[in-house]
Amino acid sequence: MSDPRTNSRIHGIVLSGVGGQGVLSLAQILLEALRRSGLHALQSEIHGMSQRGGSVHAMVCFSQVPLTSPIIDEGSADLLIALEPLEALRYVSMLRMDGHLVVSEEPQMSMEAYPPIDDVYAALKAVRGAHLIDTEDLARRLKHKQAGGMALLGMASMFLPVTNEVWFDVIRQRFEAKGVSVTEKNIEAFQAGRGLIPVPA
Amino acid sequence: MDQSTLALGVEAIGCAAFDAGIKGAFGYPGTPSTEGFEYVEAMIHAAPEGRVAHWAANEKVAYDMAMGVSYAGHRTFVTMKHVGLNVAMDAYANSALTGVRGGLVLLVADDPGMHSSQNEQDSRKLAEFAWLPCLEPSTVQECYDFTWKAFELSEALQVPVMIRLVTRLAHCRAALLRRPILAPTGLGVAPKNTIQDWVLIPSNARRRYLDLLAKQPRLVENLSSMNQLVPGTSRQGVAVAGMGRAYFNQLLLEYPALTALPRLEVAAYPVDPQLEQAFLAQVDDVFVFEEDYPVLEERLGLRGSAKVHGRLDGAVPRTGELTPRQLKNALSLIVSESREAIALDLPVRAPRFCDGCGHVDAYEAMQEALKNVGAPETRVFGDIGCYTLAAQEPMGAIHAVVEMGASISMAVGAAMAGQTPSVAVIGDSTFGHSGLPALLTAADSGVNVTVMILDNRVVGMTGQQVSQALDQVERMVLGMGIPQSQVQTLTPLPKQHDANVKAVESALRHPGPSVLIFRRECIQSMRRGVLKEHDRELKACAEQACCSEPASATSEARP
Ligand code: SF4
Repeated sequence: MSDPRTNSRIHGIVLSGVGGQGVLSLAQILLEALRRSGLHALQSEIHGMSQRGGSVHAMVCFSQVPLTSPIIDEGSADLLIALEPLEALRYVSMLRMDGHLVVSEEPQMSMEAYPPIDDVYAALKAVRGAHLIDTEDLARRLKHKQAGGMALLGMASMFLPVTNEVWFDVIRQRFEAKGVSVTEKNIEAFQAGRGLIPVPA
Repeated sequence: MDQSTLALGVEAIGCAAFDAGIKGAFGYPGTPSTEGFEYVEAMIHAAPEGRVAHWAANEKVAYDMAMGVSYAGHRTFVTMKHVGLNVAMDAYANSALTGVRGGLVLLVADDPGMHSSQNEQDSRKLAEFAWLPCLEPSTVQECYDFTWKAFELSEALQVPVMIRLVTRLAHCRAALLRRPILAPTGLGVAPKNTIQDWVLIPSNARRRYLDLLAKQPRLVENLSSMNQLVPGTSRQGVAVAGMGRAYFNQLLLEYPALTALPRLEVAAYPVDPQLEQAFLAQVDDVFVFEEDYPVLEERLGLRGSAKVHGRLDGAVPRTGELTPRQLKNALSLIVSESREAIALDLPVRAPRFCDGCGHVDAYEAMQEALKNVGAPETRVFGDIGCYTLAAQEPMGAIHAVVEMGASISMAVGAAMAGQTPSVAVIGDSTFGHSGLPALLTAADSGVNVTVMILDNRVVGMTGQQVSQALDQVERMVLGMGIPQSQVQTLTPLPKQHDANVKAVESALRHPGPSVLIFRRECIQSMRRGVLKEHDRELKACAEQACCSEPASATSEARP
């Protein structure tokens, strides 16, 4: 992504997943981190009956200039962060031609007629700029059941104009109430995810 | 960047209501309005100083409470979703005649696209219907600023003021700059010489209606600074309001050529006809971008001087939520190159009951009992709440869902028309909201209806607010006149299934009205411990026998 601090383009991130996975919480972390990085940012969320396992998505828009629209158009997202593979596919059309997708490989199958998982993976691998992550394996390795979301954020951070210092601050603030060890576990997951993406040229 | 607060659009309105010195906040939960009340409730909780925040049994009750605060001379705030305003409409329309004492601001959240509603009605129409002003913000900061403005207008014009916003803005999170907080102040109770204004017997009401109509020009005048005409060089113009205004303003950043278009920016209704005329004089064609109904579009179209394009001529889709893409299409702007569609069929992921939700057990008992009495095809009348999910296949347990409380009255009507058995399914909060009068009629009529009250002790769907009917359902049912012998409390758990089936069967077979209360707390509220404190107190109270009638059933029903 071109550095948004040196251009006035409107940048967008789409987040998607299943109710209860923490899509909105990730969106809020992103919003706060971008804002602290001196950018104008807006977040939009749709969560009708989200706690009951339906599809959930959120968008975060940011720019150097003040924004008024919380949503972006098809073909204009720089980044799609998906906590679930099928939920990623719903929003691929939102991505710019040069956009990136970071997506968890862990399916949430509790729905009618989930397509064959290999078809889902094949479709995801065909997406230009896709980065898949085995969050299940990562969670096992880190001994942290909920590592997936933070790891995805870590991957996504490679494409965002936010310093590590700001990320850690925001994550710490977010998990402060849950104690030091929870906070550090989340930072660990974030860094593990970050390490999975080669530094962009 | 500034150290401002981050807030949702609805929260910004709640926050402004607090900062502007309200004494009382009221509402009934409903997506996407809920967080507006919850925000102000949390603020009041943290610094009460004589302020109150209270969820009401329904929107009409909430609005009436706000009128009471206003009458007593204080600023007040009331929140609801668009369909909730239908319930409060009697109060709202008549409060236009009484006028207000302390400023009264009503937040109404519309839901174009019906993300979680049964229709996409436009509250601007209801404000117009009541001859009352309506402000329509387009950003989170405007949500905050307009609310301050609304209180000032309300007191200056002595009318209630509506703030109307839509889901997209209600659930947009952004930075917010606050103003210094006003302590709640009181103007004192409505003075003696205004008492007759509040007594809407015909002789007074006729006078007050004339007063309201006579006030209209002042209303337009006071709002006029909020609407503006931005001139341009083109003969094609745009009229924008709400999210249409937000989306267009952003397009101006991406497509600077659009500044050539004269534009009418609307943020407050009623709009000054002179402003509309001045705008129309500059253009031959107008594109109107607004959410929901073609309100501005119709007004501008009626003037007949320019061709007006929008929802009525198909320039914008007739229904659903407005999007930036629709603006681009209507204005024939070049859009960015898009990726190829995914070559895979993506089935929808519908919301479903949480694992272990008691509603499922209640429905399973009902379906089996209907089979056992030889009426498996019975059409069941449902209502609004999490339990509405049972209308989806494969469960398919309810066959009508219309509006709050309709289940019972529809079942009574169908029973009167000869349907047996006739079954209604309603949640505890919906029962408290509008089921009570329906049950009164059911008891009075004596017809054969079976009413299942699914009592999960909270308003499950909107985020587990404590139900107004908490621990009271049995007494409410008996109070409506249902005989004790026809009221049963059941626990919807798999291990109780057989007993529950039997109980439903006996209710179905009984020739008069009967009520089955299925009580088990919502899984989500249990997880969050919403009622933990309440139940602890209740238990202590029961142990000490400090009141003659310890609230019934809660401990017995715990899973
Ligand atoms: S939120 Fe509560 S009532 Fe609603 S489906 Fe979940 S458990 Fe059931």
